Amino acid sequence: MTDLPLSNIRVLDMSRVFAMPYAGAYLADLGAEVLKVESCQVQFMDTTRTLNGPYPENDPGEQYWERGGTYQTLNRGKRSLTLDFRSDDALKIVKSLVSLSDIVLENFTPRVMRRFGLDYPNLKAVKPDLIMVSNTGYGHSGPWSEFGAMASALESTHGTGAFMGYLEPGPGGQLEPGDVPNKIGHSYTDFLASWTAQLAVMAALIHRAKTGQGVWVDLAMYQVGVSYIGEGMLDYAFNGRTNPGLASRRIGNRHRFMSPHGCYPCRGEDQWVTLAVRDDSEWEGFCQALGRPELAVDRRFALPLDRHRHQDQLDEIITAWTSTHESYHVMESMQLRGVPAAPVVNARQLLADPHFRQRGFFEAVDHSNDPCSENPGLGRKEYVGRGWKMAAADIKIRAGAPTLGEANGYVLGGLLGLDQEETQRLHQQGIIGTKPVGGSVPGSTPLADQVELGWIAGYDSQYDQSSGLGGSK
Amino acid sequence: MNPPGFTPAGFLNGIRVLDLGSHISAPFCARLLADYGADVIKVESPAGDVARRVGPFAGGLPHREKSVVFLYINTNKRGVTLDLATQTGKNLLAGLIKSSDILVQNLSPAEAESLGLTYGELADINPRLVATSITPFGSTGPYRDLAATDIVTCALSGLMYHSGDSDREPLRNALDQSFYIAGINAAVATLAAIFQRIITVQGQQVDVSVAECLASHLVQPVPYYNYMGAIKGRRPVRGSGFEELMPARDGYVTPSVQGSQSWSTVAELIGLEELQDKRFATGAGRIEHGEELRDLLTQGLAQWDRKPLFQASGEHRLVFGMAQDSQDLYDCPHLRDREFFVEVDHPVAGKAEYPVGGPRLSHGVYQVYRAAPLLGQHNQEIYCGELGYAKEDLVRLREMNVI
Repeated sequence: MTDLPLSNIRVLDMSRVFAMPYAGAYLADLGAEVLKVESCQVQFMDTTRTLNGPYPENDPGEQYWERGGTYQTLNRGKRSLTLDFRSDDALKIVKSLVSLSDIVLENFTPRVMRRFGLDYPNLKAVKPDLIMVSNTGYGHSGPWSEFGAMASALESTHGTGAFMGYLEPGPGGQLEPGDVPNKIGHSYTDFLASWTAQLAVMAALIHRAKTGQGVWVDLAMYQVGVSYIGEGMLDYAFNGRTNPGLASRRIGNRHRFMSPHGCYPCRGEDQWVTLAVRDDSEWEGFCQALGRPELAVDRRFALPLDRHRHQDQLDEIITAWTSTHESYHVMESMQLRGVPAAPVVNARQLLADPHFRQRGFFEAVDHSNDPCSENPGLGRKEYVGRGWKMAAADIKIRAGAPTLGEANGYVLGGLLGLDQEETQRLHQQGIIGTKPVGGSVPGSTPLADQVELGWIAGYDSQYDQSSGLGGSK
Repeated sequence: MNPPGFTPAGFLNGIRVLDLGSHISAPFCARLLADYGADVIKVESPAGDVARRVGPFAGGLPHREKSVVFLYINTNKRGVTLDLATQTGKNLLAGLIKSSDILVQNLSPAEAESLGLTYGELADINPRLVATSITPFGSTGPYRDLAATDIVTCALSGLMYHSGDSDREPLRNALDQSFYIAGINAAVATLAAIFQRIITVQGQQVDVSVAECLASHLVQPVPYYNYMGAIKGRRPVRGSGFEELMPARDGYVTPSVQGSQSWSTVAELIGLEELQDKRFATGAGRIEHGEELRDLLTQGLAQWDRKPLFQASGEHRLVFGMAQDSQDLYDCPHLRDREFFVEVDHPVAGKAEYPVGGPRLSHGVYQVYRAAPLLGQHNQEIYCGELGYAKEDLVRLREMNVI
């Protein structure tokens, strides 16, 4: 178990925000040395350092740029080298570093990397077998290639909203498919791009091991997004608009053929349970769980097609029952009879959930022990882990995220062999550094006000900071 | 599309994958590997993958070769049939396993055990095999055997809590996203194991949990809670802020102030004089005067159609989005220019343009080169051509209902 899949791989992570940094974090979990190359200039800095938070106790603190929980999640296990790309010295350093690296991750709009002379043809010249992933909104060719993008605007552009939305009351009061697109949200497209980049990197590493060839990966988030609604695309390609299946996709939490199927309110504020009945035997179990065995012989609901026709009535019956029970209780009674059901958990409930805890899904980092961190006052924190486990490799979050420029000495002196005088000169000229230049401590909005503004749904003044579990320690 | 039988040059040439999956998750994992050049054999029961029974269907009416989700998820594969519940079927499978590098399946843990597909049993046949299982909650832990569907794993991962509007119930995602997310995560971990095998010469078990794959998206809600006790919720009521879908003349758009441009550029683009008011110039001001801003935006956006507004925003280096449907996407000049669609000719379902999902590569192929297999299409090619069975054996196996 000593060797990790990417033990001997070095990654230059020049990327920012969510998608590519998260890919870099996974490569670090897999054992790669990941160098985050970033600017000290706040205007060019990764916005997860400067804008996103959340900060411990909602206090950015003096070293706010090290303390954001989202920054920590997305950059765990990396090292940090600062470079101001506006200087020729910096660009030379990057190229030398590329020649010692295996993988480059970046997500600038195409014109930026070309302007710096850091596009693939230039980097390939110094490292012929380089694996480089360029992630952009729309890709490096085509009429939209220079358009900026971000996941929250891309999600509807790549079509998910055509297949997602609430039911709305029709003229007769019955619920009908709605016209209003909705979103999965929380930067969904960023994650599609992150997984796609990781897959491309793994395939390219296998290819390089066999052939000695590198590759450039031109990843367009827009295209990736469309490929995740292939079913809806092909439905249109084969059937046009004539197929009723296409018109009825904004069906809220209902399902094309399972019924009942939905999300129902439970006891407590903003508590919900989902459930799905796939066949007649589950329907019988469902009626028992509900304490209404007579429904199983009710002619309105006898067969799947009947239940489908009477979903409004069914939903009323189910809501009346779930509203008086806790969501986990509904899950237990349904699952006892083999009916798929589970609560809609928020982060607090997920952090406390016995299954996720027993599987070790959340991984703790003791930030005071971080080898590459000056302890920005984070203590012990748990982070989301990965959705998979490899039996013969100890994949885990190896350390917290790096403090700004903590690896400047290691990279410039150790890897590139610059002498101390040279490093000092770079420091004096502001090409490298360990403190942000410009910017100011972000404001902190009290949690009560954040609730008022709709930024958060609520908060607990009493919670266990180390595991995130609710209540007192 | 290239002629049948053509094998492209791809990154994963020489790697054989057995796809014992059904519906979306494991088959999508296998398709991603096939797209990168792996030789994927899809193994179906004689009744066929359940996806064959799931609509919509090409042409509108049910047909086992015309399910669009099946057609989409199973390109670039060869297909055989096999009844895993019979001893003969198990023997045939063992023959396939011996010559394979990867086996991926999404049976429940109990089903996998009853069919002799536990990692230990598979490793006895081929110790170099990477065996990947995709289950709703993983192969261990208290929820291991729970019944689940897409909505249920979305719920019990935290993903769904954050989807939809804050004044309504959480909303299910589009088109079974949970299975696709699990499929691509499985492909990543499986290839990490293949890469590790170059050194260790040993296979291993890869245990994928659909719910955990979804939960790994929560890079904001989880630290919100354990850094400061805050619960991130669903988005505020529609239209109350930027970066939300808002009505334009012919559909919905997502205006945004992100990007390198100032508010005045946004206001100028939308073209409503009142938006230039300096009360809206800062983020704090836009929050303070949110309701007024929303009304003005709605008024301004009503003068625009989606596509011209999107185009103009891109040209102004603004980052807007617009709600598009399948037809918009097929008509999209940018996707056309990127040669995103490939015509695939399926012998029963017919021709259609398929979206080609992967990134563009400087070399190597990421293409659709084979339509989804008909049920049992490659039985003879694989059982006779590669495992050495005689044609008469094939007839007997069919008569015994093994294939």
